Amino acid sequence: MKSIKNHLMFILPLMTILLGIQFYLVFDRMTSGYEERLRDGYSILVVANKPVGINEFKALNAKISQSSKIERNEILQEISIGQDPADTKAILDALPNFYTLKLASYLDTSSLEKVKKDLEKSAKIKRVETFGSDYSSNYKLFSFIKFTLKAFIFFMATVSLFLIIKQMEVWGYIHKERMQVMEIFGAPMILKTGILFRVAIVDALIATLLIVIFFVILGSVWAQNSGVEVVVQNHMNIFHNNDILILLFSALIIVVTSVLIVVFGLNGGEE
Amino acid sequence: MSTIIEAIGMTLSYSNGQNDIIQNVNFKINKGDFVFITGPSGSGKSTLLKSLYGQIKPSSGSLSVGGIEMSSVKKSKLQELRTHLGIVFQDYKLISEWTVSKNVVLPLVIAGYAIDVQKSQAQRLLGHVKLSDYGDRYPLELSGGEQQRVGIARALARNPLVVLADEPTGNLDEYSSNVIWDLMENACEQLGTTVLVVTHKIPTIFSLRYRHFIIENKGLYEVN
Repeated sequence: MKSIKNHLMFILPLMTILLGIQFYLVFDRMTSGYEERLRDGYSILVVANKPVGINEFKALNAKISQSSKIERNEILQEISIGQDPADTKAILDALPNFYTLKLASYLDTSSLEKVKKDLEKSAKIKRVETFGSDYSSNYKLFSFIKFTLKAFIFFMATVSLFLIIKQMEVWGYIHKERMQVMEIFGAPMILKTGILFRVAIVDALIATLLIVIFFVILGSVWAQNSGVEVVVQNHMNIFHNNDILILLFSALIIVVTSVLIVVFGLNGGEE
Repeated sequence: MSTIIEAIGMTLSYSNGQNDIIQNVNFKINKGDFVFITGPSGSGKSTLLKSLYGQIKPSSGSLSVGGIEMSSVKKSKLQELRTHLGIVFQDYKLISEWTVSKNVVLPLVIAGYAIDVQKSQAQRLLGHVKLSDYGDRYPLELSGGEQQRVGIARALARNPLVVLADEPTGNLDEYSSNVIWDLMENACEQLGTTVLVVTHKIPTIFSLRYRHFIIENKGLYEVN
């Protein structure tokens, strides 16, 4: 009974961290489409005296991914109706080059301002106009939700990590005498502390398995029948197969780190 | 006779280095010696023994065990030396979650012996200490005397250079104590193992020739 309690005291905080990681992965996948729409909805119009290639735009700011030239002839047709051909030629010569630019990633407002300023630094570029009325408010709301989630996960993970280390210390004390005896008989560290690693790795596997089962059920059963449109549409984002590797790797890193902290702590205390 | 342990001007102190427990002692233990170290409680007998397996380093002077200088020994070298020592404790220090057999072969587990070698050695060693039928039991199911016999079997498992015993009969009745002394004598006589025992009192029935050191007023003196 005491042993089960000791394992639960380790598995539950580890599950909390893994839940946080998985929720973040799910949130990230569900919102990446929304991010793309926000990004695409934002356009930059550039007016340039001379032609500017995509590489020149990228050299001005690396966040720019695409440029499309607005054909001057189309503009000319609109404005030269009833004009003399000689005048039309003069208009064409005087007409600047127009470009619409797309961004490589979803940027905050200050980064967008920087893109605009970088473009304006070029002698070829006369003017830069940006369009995206909802962008700033949407971005702020979105950033706030993301930040809140990250802060919550970070807080939970920190508290859980302390609980894991505390529990590992308890195990360290439970097995201290055995480890001391083995040390006196010349056991290397890996053999001496093998018991802690074994227990921790087994618990890491159990915690990962429980989280995987939870999210598989959540994605395949609950989400599809939830009746909540956004959840039904995104049910396939709740669990991907490679999440198993991410969770398992994270769990192993956490437990091995906590074992090492405790082992070196115990050794330090002895000397 | 080759020297196994040698101390020259050795001083042992508490970690702050100010309170000497043993001061400026010289002694030499040869291969095959049976040595008793006696002295009053708190005189530093156990501390001296701990220095022999590297739990405490000399604060000055030199101490050599199996040719290794203990005052400057590196962790990896100390680990290796310890695999050639057999240590017996007053409180047995058996691993309670392990069976008697597994406890006995701990030095072989550490040395990486194959499982079948461990099993056959466990049988042989348990037979030697007359506990052949106790292999599958756990230490807490055994009496104090039986546990100490397991401790001795464990100490002898790898034919050690030296057996270091700290009050091996301190918690035992007279009958069990005599069994333990017999085993120690046999190890020395039949296997040629060097045995160094720290004890309050030398046993009255002891047939083997032995050397006797006394710790007194922080010094170590041999009694003839």
